[in-house]
Amino acid sequence: MQPILSWCALALYGLGILLALPSVIRRRPSLSSSALGALGLGLLFHGAALAAQAVALGSLPITDVHSAVSFFAFDATLAFFLVYLRYRITSLGVFMLPFVFVLTLAGTLRGSHDSDAGGFHGGWLLIHTGSMILGYTGLFLTAVAAIMYLIQERELKSKQPRAFYYRLPSLEVCDSLYYRSLVFGLTFLTLGIITGLIWASRAWHGLWEFDPKIVASFVTWIIYLILFSSRWTGSWRGRRGAYVALFGFAAMMVTFLGVSFLSGQHGLLPNPGGRR
Amino acid sequence: MACFPTQGADDESKSYGRGLEELPRQAVMNLLLVGISHRTAPVEIRERMHIPASCLSRALQDLARREEILEGLILSTCNRVEVLANVRDYDEGARALRQFLADYHRFDLAPYEHYLYWRRQEEALRHLFRVAASLDSMILGEPQILGQVKQAFQAAREAGALHGTLEEAVNQALAAARRVRRETALGTAAVSVSYAAVELARKIFGSLAGKTVFLVGAGKMSELAARHLAGAGAEAIFVTNRTYERAQELAEAFHGQPVSFEELFDYLSRADIVITSTGAPGFLIRREHAEQLLATRRNRPVFFVDIAVPRDVDPAVNELDNAFVYDIDDLQQVVAANLRQRQREAVWAEEIVEQEVQRTLRRLAARQVVPTIVALEEKLEAIRRAETERFRGRLSTLTAEQREAVDALTRGILNKILHGPISELKRGSSNVERGTLEELIRKIFGVEE
Repeated sequence: MQPILSWCALALYGLGILLALPSVIRRRPSLSSSALGALGLGLLFHGAALAAQAVALGSLPITDVHSAVSFFAFDATLAFFLVYLRYRITSLGVFMLPFVFVLTLAGTLRGSHDSDAGGFHGGWLLIHTGSMILGYTGLFLTAVAAIMYLIQERELKSKQPRAFYYRLPSLEVCDSLYYRSLVFGLTFLTLGIITGLIWASRAWHGLWEFDPKIVASFVTWIIYLILFSSRWTGSWRGRRGAYVALFGFAAMMVTFLGVSFLSGQHGLLPNPGGRR
Repeated sequence: MACFPTQGADDESKSYGRGLEELPRQAVMNLLLVGISHRTAPVEIRERMHIPASCLSRALQDLARREEILEGLILSTCNRVEVLANVRDYDEGARALRQFLADYHRFDLAPYEHYLYWRRQEEALRHLFRVAASLDSMILGEPQILGQVKQAFQAAREAGALHGTLEEAVNQALAAARRVRRETALGTAAVSVSYAAVELARKIFGSLAGKTVFLVGAGKMSELAARHLAGAGAEAIFVTNRTYERAQELAEAFHGQPVSFEELFDYLSRADIVITSTGAPGFLIRREHAEQLLATRRNRPVFFVDIAVPRDVDPAVNELDNAFVYDIDDLQQVVAANLRQRQREAVWAEEIVEQEVQRTLRRLAARQVVPTIVALEEKLEAIRRAETERFRGRLSTLTAEQREAVDALTRGILNKILHGPISELKRGSSNVERGTLEELIRKIFGVEE
């Protein structure tokens, strides 16, 4: 049941992206209702798939990397809707949704792989993983806003308006989205790291110092913290900040996906060593 | 100035729609358009053909009064004068339209003949739709024309010059133009330098509400740009000028604050948008000034619109993050790009117009065959009644129920017979075909015209 729901969601997302394209190309003030309908329906199917999995697992489906990726994709689509309703940026879909599609695909491909990762239960862990994914969603939005900002800034500096000049929102709107999502993302990232530390100190009895994922998370967290504080001085406002946000997002993706395959404790996949 | 010729005034009391009442109005659709526009004639010719709004009503009444003309619409703007009519017959109608123009202007039309363009039926309809959608405008996508067509429509209706096919056609043209506005970005990109500056400011700052504008140097152009910016919501305005009095004057006009020229750099960092137009020989605002100003602003963006020649702002300022410098050539370049953008949008708009023209043609044609259908139905119904009447004696023994059955039977036969011709009439793909088909059906069934 659950894989079918996931594939339906994926197909609807794909359809939604295709249907959203004409609105962007033709510079319509809003996305067509068919595009929004397909995406909304996709979101429902996606939610149903996650719910089905949660029932089967008896816990939130964030305990293996594919489910976590799928959960992230679900959050990101939800975020797309919220941001779209707030800012009415039609071009947002073009930047956000293909990435969401790939994430959903990745989540769906191995979605049936129910790894019950031993010690991965308990309240702290759920809060930890949930917060992390919310944090990732916020910072993903920050990266999307940064990309839109960089393109629009380039158009304005070049003084030769091309296709994007007409279709992307103003620098101010990109900047506002960038800052708000950064605050949101950083808040949950911080919460996620703290709860992770609490859980780890209980579950692993202090044996976690060299877990690469934890180290990488700290590095990411520090990048974003610096980015956030630079906002107060204004020194990284604009282009430079946008580049740092992209760098931070790349680091985060490495943390989330790359290190998951290396890390022992966070190896949401087959666990190589018996440290449990 | 007298609006109209001589003979018009005294027979005003006569009904201008004389003879129209007896005709099945919907049945006629011979659209004919004559016009002169910026595409065919220079302004000195166009102004001679102009029909001012104050005279429109009289002109329309005179137009509709003419025997050959069933309905009429007059569109007279500074770029075009067009008369669109639904006529009984094309040749007679063309003669009548020529006569109308000659009567109105009281001059011989012959020397202007080669400036005029004529369109018939589908071509006339398409022309009207394109004009209303601003696809035939001097500045592609300019917004006024829709209002002008609407006014022409209202004037014609009030003058009693519209009451059938043409009324429907103009209505559809207005709807199509609104659809073009709604579904394309044809009229959105700025096509004047001062509006381009506002558009750029919007692309940087989003909403201009609460933004501060600084006019450095007072000139016509910067005044215009400031006016547009204020119209778009910019609030505080500083003005400085070499002669302080001029700054005061201008500041007053905008409810702004005059600043003495010496204090220029003290106020500069407060401004989000700086419009420079001084006669200074060298760069007034150099890179180091801008660096300092951005530091003070903690890198909040600043937009320099430099319309001075020679330029006031060092173009190197544009290399700094969060500073945007546009000189007059840059603005012109944006305008050119915007015009190209409008042309690209026009392709979509033409597509919409074509769809709507075809839809309207089908609609009008369907209206056109209504009288034939009605006549056909009436004729056959009359036959049915007469025949039933003839057999009344022999049917008298039937019960009420049986009589009803006979009624239903005969009616059913009629409907079956009529179904073919009526759907053929409604379907007829082209007008010419439909015309002959209609005639044929009328002849076959002996329906009088």
